[in-house]
Amino acid sequence: MNSTHRVRFVDRRGFLRAGLVTGAALAATSLRRARAQSPVTLTLSVWGAQAEQDAFNAVINKYQQLHPNVTIRLEVNGNSMQLYQLVDTRLAGRQAPDIFRIQYQQVGRYALARALVDLTPYLDPGYAGQFGPAFWQAVTFQGKQFALPHHTDTFALYYNVEFLRNIGVEMPRSLERSLTWDEFIRIARQLKQKSDAPYGFAMGWQNSAAYRWLPFLYQHGGQMLDSELRQTQLASPKGVETLAWTQSWFKEGLVPPSTSVKSGEQTQNLFANGTIGMLLGGDWQIPFLQQNMTKYTWDVTYMPRDAAMASDLGGNCLAVSRDSKHPDVAADFLKFIVNEENMREFVTAAQFLPVRTALMNQKLDYALRPDAMQVYVEQARTIPDHLVRTVTMPVFSKINAAMADELDLTFTSGQEPTTTAQNLDAKIRAVLAG
Amino acid sequence: MATRRHFADSACWLGLIAGAAVMVFPIYWMFATAVRPHAEIFEAIARLVPSSLSWSNFHTVLTRYPVLTWVNNSVIIAVVAVALTVFINLLCGYTFAKFRFPGRNILFFAILGALMVPIQVILVPEFLIVSWLGLLNTHLGVILPRAAEAFGIFMVRQFMVSIPDELIEAARLDGAGEFTIFFRVVLPLSKPIIAVLVIFTFMWRWNDFAWPLVALTDQDMFTLPLGLNLLRGEVNPDWGNVMALALLSLLPMLVIFLAFQRYLVQGIASTGLK
Amino acid sequence: MPESGVVTLPATSIARRHRAGWWSTHQRRLVPYLFIAPNIVLFAAFSFLPLIYAVYISFHDWTLIGEPDFIGIGNYQRLVYDSLFWRALANTLVYAVGTVPTSMAIGLLLALALNRHMPARSFLRSLYFLPLVVSAVATGTIAAWMFNDNYGVINAIIVRLGGSRVAWLSSPYWALPSLVLTTLWVRVGFCMVVYLAALQSIPRMYYEAARIDGASAVRQFRHVTLPLLKPATFLLLVLSIIYSFHVFDLIYVMTGGGPGFSTTMLVQYIFRSAFVTSEMGYACAVGIALYALILGFTVLQWRASRQTENVM
Repeated sequence: MNSTHRVRFVDRRGFLRAGLVTGAALAATSLRRARAQSPVTLTLSVWGAQAEQDAFNAVINKYQQLHPNVTIRLEVNGNSMQLYQLVDTRLAGRQAPDIFRIQYQQVGRYALARALVDLTPYLDPGYAGQFGPAFWQAVTFQGKQFALPHHTDTFALYYNVEFLRNIGVEMPRSLERSLTWDEFIRIARQLKQKSDAPYGFAMGWQNSAAYRWLPFLYQHGGQMLDSELRQTQLASPKGVETLAWTQSWFKEGLVPPSTSVKSGEQTQNLFANGTIGMLLGGDWQIPFLQQNMTKYTWDVTYMPRDAAMASDLGGNCLAVSRDSKHPDVAADFLKFIVNEENMREFVTAAQFLPVRTALMNQKLDYALRPDAMQVYVEQARTIPDHLVRTVTMPVFSKINAAMADELDLTFTSGQEPTTTAQNLDAKIRAVLAG
Repeated sequence: MATRRHFADSACWLGLIAGAAVMVFPIYWMFATAVRPHAEIFEAIARLVPSSLSWSNFHTVLTRYPVLTWVNNSVIIAVVAVALTVFINLLCGYTFAKFRFPGRNILFFAILGALMVPIQVILVPEFLIVSWLGLLNTHLGVILPRAAEAFGIFMVRQFMVSIPDELIEAARLDGAGEFTIFFRVVLPLSKPIIAVLVIFTFMWRWNDFAWPLVALTDQDMFTLPLGLNLLRGEVNPDWGNVMALALLSLLPMLVIFLAFQRYLVQGIASTGLK
Repeated sequence: MPESGVVTLPATSIARRHRAGWWSTHQRRLVPYLFIAPNIVLFAAFSFLPLIYAVYISFHDWTLIGEPDFIGIGNYQRLVYDSLFWRALANTLVYAVGTVPTSMAIGLLLALALNRHMPARSFLRSLYFLPLVVSAVATGTIAAWMFNDNYGVINAIIVRLGGSRVAWLSSPYWALPSLVLTTLWVRVGFCMVVYLAALQSIPRMYYEAARIDGASAVRQFRHVTLPLLKPATFLLLVLSIIYSFHVFDLIYVMTGGGPGFSTTMLVQYIFRSAFVTSEMGYACAVGIALYALILGFTVLQWRASRQTENVM
């Protein structure tokens, strides 16, 4: 299935390498065919809400029916942090699960440590073209693929329909007419002063998801790193201004003080019970809101914009760990999960966005509020390429930890934005230097 | 004078009741959150008494998650751990109390040193050892690393010091072997300390969190605290469910506690804290 | 409770025919080692071996998911200059100072009160001990829920009494006090039980003698009760300090170490270094430093009190 026939040999070494790959692939194919018949058990470690768990179980059952000798056990963790802690410990003991779910921001860390299986030998040429280039690039490290993109998600602006109506504000219905920063803050102030909500809004960056602050920087026309991803640019005016603007949310009391980056506050609860009038949140919140927001109705509009429009790169991919005893079967299962039909079923059931170009251009039949999902689909197209390259750097998890610390100090302890920018620049420079 | 004393006594008693109410309130609140209607949970003004009672959260928790499996795991681990730990603690405490042997002091201080090791330091190395032994994701893998409990050894030693040496000597003169002495003479006299050990050991093993979190990876092997952590750590946790499970995980411990609690003060008193 | 006096043991049931075998001559010497062997083996395998391994790793740089990299004393050097380490240490000490004497004092008061005769005394004692029985995960969960700024019941009660909301868990100033309050809720019962037991072992005749001598209740307390409670106090001090240096589950669930680093204790910092910032080697170095600290504390307390033989 995976024998190479289009090999370009530029020199003898290339030819030799091609020959070796061909031979290895042929051997692997025949080995796989032989081994595929003996009973195999795989573990798939994920996190996720009920809808996601059900969706994973559905695709597992499908695969098991097609391959009766394969049993796949689903391990569920509460959230991504719990999963990384467990997987890291088990990797240290060479007992990691066969397959696990990873955020795009974390793939680099595992790839750099050689904790993942190189999936390139299992992929047909041209496989890459089926996926959105940003996502494919996110799972590529040193020219090889170490994970397969599964889905993405992004942020948009939820709002309480009744509250907005009471203050006489109409939300934009198209991307071009999205709120400006000033308009957004004005609405937040009106909500705080005139509506039942004690606070204007909240941003869903808790549990140290500091990378979700970056879209605001791009909206303001700035970047964290230069185009080569070598020099830091936070101490520039754009960086400091963005820090000051996001800090002003807390200083002015427009957001609940408990919604800083390192807190565990559940912002969707605050939105559901009317404590905040607007919520900058992700598409996966929809099932919760549908079930729990009973006193009010909600709708969704686009992110605010400043000099530009930008949103957050969310979503996860799936990878095979180096401890897997059946990497070939695991890789086969991975490809099954992310094939067009299964990806479509997963994203429509769990309220996510697809990463296959074929699906990205289709109108998908979402289980809940397809109108709201449409906003997210459009918003996902505004994720800046440079942001993707930044957050998928192998060392980004360390940068994220530094960002979480400094942003939290800025929001909860009134640290000066210039100090924050300088501290972050220094820390990021240290991380990049290795 | 008597009335003043009486007044002071009543005031003291009322104060104690108020204090006890504060102690119990969080558990009541756990219960209230678990049974009240969903919309009430996040109200900005918390109602002290739920407007209505609903057991649906308990039903959801029990059907959606393998709670009975978790209970089963917790019970097996706790019971086996208690049996093992209490037994070896009694043996060890008795030895330090009644025997003189070379290396006694060093070993005693070594055990004391083990009491102070913070688990976070040894979590990963312990994981490596247990995984090397092939005990990951097994009940034994959770029980063995935590079976040696220094606190229990000290309490037993303290207690056994007050067992009269003459009894043991008499048995020795009669020709009884050391094992026989332990089982037939010492143990029967140790009922209070055994009760105390059972309560504390069961409590610690039932509520163990950090080590099982690392050692158990299969959701079907989870203990109740791990299950609770799973529910609580979800991105959108259902607080009614979380509290329902918290309450369920508290119940068995409550039962054991209520059964043994009258021995508690008596047992600790018998360790002779003088 | 074994009483001294004559106890007749049925001679036939435990008498054995005296056998001059190797075992019977040597058993008295070997049996101590046999009896303590299970514990020693378990401690060695699951406490000391991992500790030695942790020391070994502390001289390396390790991301957990990659290979360890030897760096000599680099981690320890870093520790000395790491402001976060000292902050975590300061937090731990503040937490210890906030919880240990307070819980012991309240526990003593409760024990004194509950030592008197009163209706439902045993039931009341159980109620005070009850919080100890709840798991740390459940305690942290319910505490986080009750202290929540926006929909926690504690703020609701404060508001109803006319006060204003306190930012319990989102303010760097209030987070540590909320932790301390929760810990007190958990620990006073334990202190109470230990003090109760100690109070009950004070012979009544001491109080009789003092009363005959004309001592008031307060003086009786100062000169009879307090001195005789020294062993219990010492025991509680050691155990409570060890607990306050070890506490992890409660903080992990309740605040996660935040906001900022205001509730990051040393154990929390170890966990964060190992699993969040992927610096397992450094985590081990901090852990060894913490262990040395606890050992040092305990030894100091040991020396300060002359109760070594009586208590431990």
